[in-house]
Amino acid sequence: MNRTLRAFIRKELVQTLRDVKMRVLLFGAPVIQLTIFGLALSTEIKNINLAVFSRPGDAMFERVAENFYASGWFDRVTYVQGEDPFELIDSGRADAVLIAPKGGLAWSAARGDGKLQLLVDASNATKARAVEAYAKSIISAASAREYGARGAPALNFDVRVLYNPAMESSMFLVPGVMGMLVCLITIILTAMSLTREREMGTFETIVSAPLSNTEILLGKTVPYILLGLANAALVVTAGYLLFGVPVRGPLWELALAALAFVVTTVSVGTFISTVAKSQQQAMLGGFMFLFPAILMSGIMYPVENMPKAIIAVAYMDPLMYFVRLIRNIMLKGGDLHVFWSNLGALALMAVFAAGMAYKRFRQTLN
Amino acid sequence: MNGFNIYRAYAIARKEVMHVLRDPFTLTLALGLPVMLVTFFGYAIDYEVKNISLAVLDRDNGPAARRLKEIFSSSGYFHPVDAVAGTGPIGMLDSGRASAALFIAPDFSKDIKSGGSVKAQFVLDGSDNSKAAALMGYLPGIQRAAQARLTGQAPPELISAETRFLYNPELNSRWFTVPGLAAIIIGLLSILLTAMTVAREWENGSMELLLSTPVRPLEIIVGKLAPYGALVLAGVFFVYVVSRLVFGVPFEGSHLLYLAACLLFVTAALSQGLLISVLVRQQQVAMQLGMITGLLPSMLLSGFIFPVESMPKFFRYFTMLLPPRWFMAAARGITLKGAGLHELAVPFLGLGLLSLGMLTLAMVKFKTDLE
Repeated sequence: MNRTLRAFIRKELVQTLRDVKMRVLLFGAPVIQLTIFGLALSTEIKNINLAVFSRPGDAMFERVAENFYASGWFDRVTYVQGEDPFELIDSGRADAVLIAPKGGLAWSAARGDGKLQLLVDASNATKARAVEAYAKSIISAASAREYGARGAPALNFDVRVLYNPAMESSMFLVPGVMGMLVCLITIILTAMSLTREREMGTFETIVSAPLSNTEILLGKTVPYILLGLANAALVVTAGYLLFGVPVRGPLWELALAALAFVVTTVSVGTFISTVAKSQQQAMLGGFMFLFPAILMSGIMYPVENMPKAIIAVAYMDPLMYFVRLIRNIMLKGGDLHVFWSNLGALALMAVFAAGMAYKRFRQTLN
Repeated sequence: MNGFNIYRAYAIARKEVMHVLRDPFTLTLALGLPVMLVTFFGYAIDYEVKNISLAVLDRDNGPAARRLKEIFSSSGYFHPVDAVAGTGPIGMLDSGRASAALFIAPDFSKDIKSGGSVKAQFVLDGSDNSKAAALMGYLPGIQRAAQARLTGQAPPELISAETRFLYNPELNSRWFTVPGLAAIIIGLLSILLTAMTVAREWENGSMELLLSTPVRPLEIIVGKLAPYGALVLAGVFFVYVVSRLVFGVPFEGSHLLYLAACLLFVTAALSQGLLISVLVRQQQVAMQLGMITGLLPSMLLSGFIFPVESMPKFFRYFTMLLPPRWFMAAARGITLKGAGLHELAVPFLGLGLLSLGMLTLAMVKFKTDLE
């Protein structure tokens, strides 16, 4: 590497890090965001407001209802005698209402018709689905308890959860959020870099400097790749220290995955900055990449759920590969087959994106 | 000094409109992006977990084991595959080729026949929580079906629940995602567009120029924001048409109320963008702050995917500072539940207060900087 190029890279780094606002946004914001999202988000649905309706003296129903509140998922909703259950849901005071059969639960069950009615506010479909699943498991456990062997099924599943036996949401979500933050930072840093130079007229100065096209491109990308890697190291450390997310696989796998990913996003960002005519356009371009990349990455909902045609698009999302890689390396110990196949895909994208950026960049220079 | 003059604000707005019209790229994107993204992700996002690869290690090979596999496959949630020799089901979980594994013991069929209580081991990949939780939820239903088919008699249903889903009886994910997506995209675009446009004036130094003219600060701000407000509202209209026609999202409530909610929300987002641009004055930092305070919080903390009520107490209060949280509640309430102003008083109040607060902060900062 020659001296001019080294100096150029150093200048870019100094210029980016000189600004206090930029330093805070680069190194403070990711840690704060990781903490907030790690603490706040949970895939488990909790605090469901449940109201129960029964005739006085229905002891069996009251025991079942008590099981609901004891599960920890439901909160009690109190209401005035004579209120309409539907009205409770309409007004948003209850998310679900459990209603006892008319003649009392024990009486109905004895006649083979022990049906409880469960009204669920399905304006939030995920929540409604969770409420139904909870209710089913609570009721079948209650049935087994009330009726002993008669209520117990003959076939049982012995369920074991691997990698994250306590099913802690942060184990699953924090690695995803890490990938997202690294993606966000690198795109923001690079999407405007050249556009801004051009808008401010400093681009001509660079072009007239004694540097080849390749050197200019390297000088404009290498610093951001370094910053992106520093950021990745920062969030992994923060995730490990703050949330105890394990790093079960080797560190070199993590480092290679981060490198391939950061090269890809920096190239995409640089490509955007060569195409955009103003910083506003660059921002829109960055948004157009970031928004789909995050939604299709599998961080928030599984990629497998999507329709086939859309899965095909998700396979073009670098963030999806990166999230798969960090989850596999951190939680599962980095199975080599998964590692090389996903890293290979990511590396291909990195090469393609860098090539595109280089091509556009040369056109812009000439 | 004289008061607010609508003509001067109008003049600024006209200049801004011309600026946008000259840039067809921004114009098309601002108008087209919301519709495009809503359509695409309306199809893409589906919370129902299905077609999960299930690695099966069948040591029994009897008729009952075969039937059990059939039951898993006919549920539609699982896609059973025989475990690969060598790696075994756990190896398949390690490499992500399966998300769950089923172990059937050698005497499974015999035990079923003789009538005792039988166990099958079911192992889940816990590295994806949401999937694992959903799969666990499917087990009771499969257990019931399996018992009915294997032993010939359904388990006694002494107590059961009959669930009625209100407002969205078929639990159509789209009805729930599309209004939420619209909120996120519209909010973000408003924040980013305004943050950038005002920051640009500072960066170019044209803000000082504007201020030295008789135009008053409030007039500048209204003039600069109004065109973007109109642009974004046009986007809202397109999104509305798409969600009604393409996704068949019901609209139970009042359109007028929905319009009011949109107006309030767009105002809040524009104020947020304005506040950012007054604070940082550089387009790059403005974009960064816009993305940080807009993109991730509105996707993750607004209740779009993760319900606010499930968060720890502190964050249930913290999210009250986010306009999309309130708009999400209002939009879902109006479209699906047909809620009126009475039920939505809190979200409306929240949006109003947030807009007012951010606008005031921005104005104060703007004025102190001038003096």
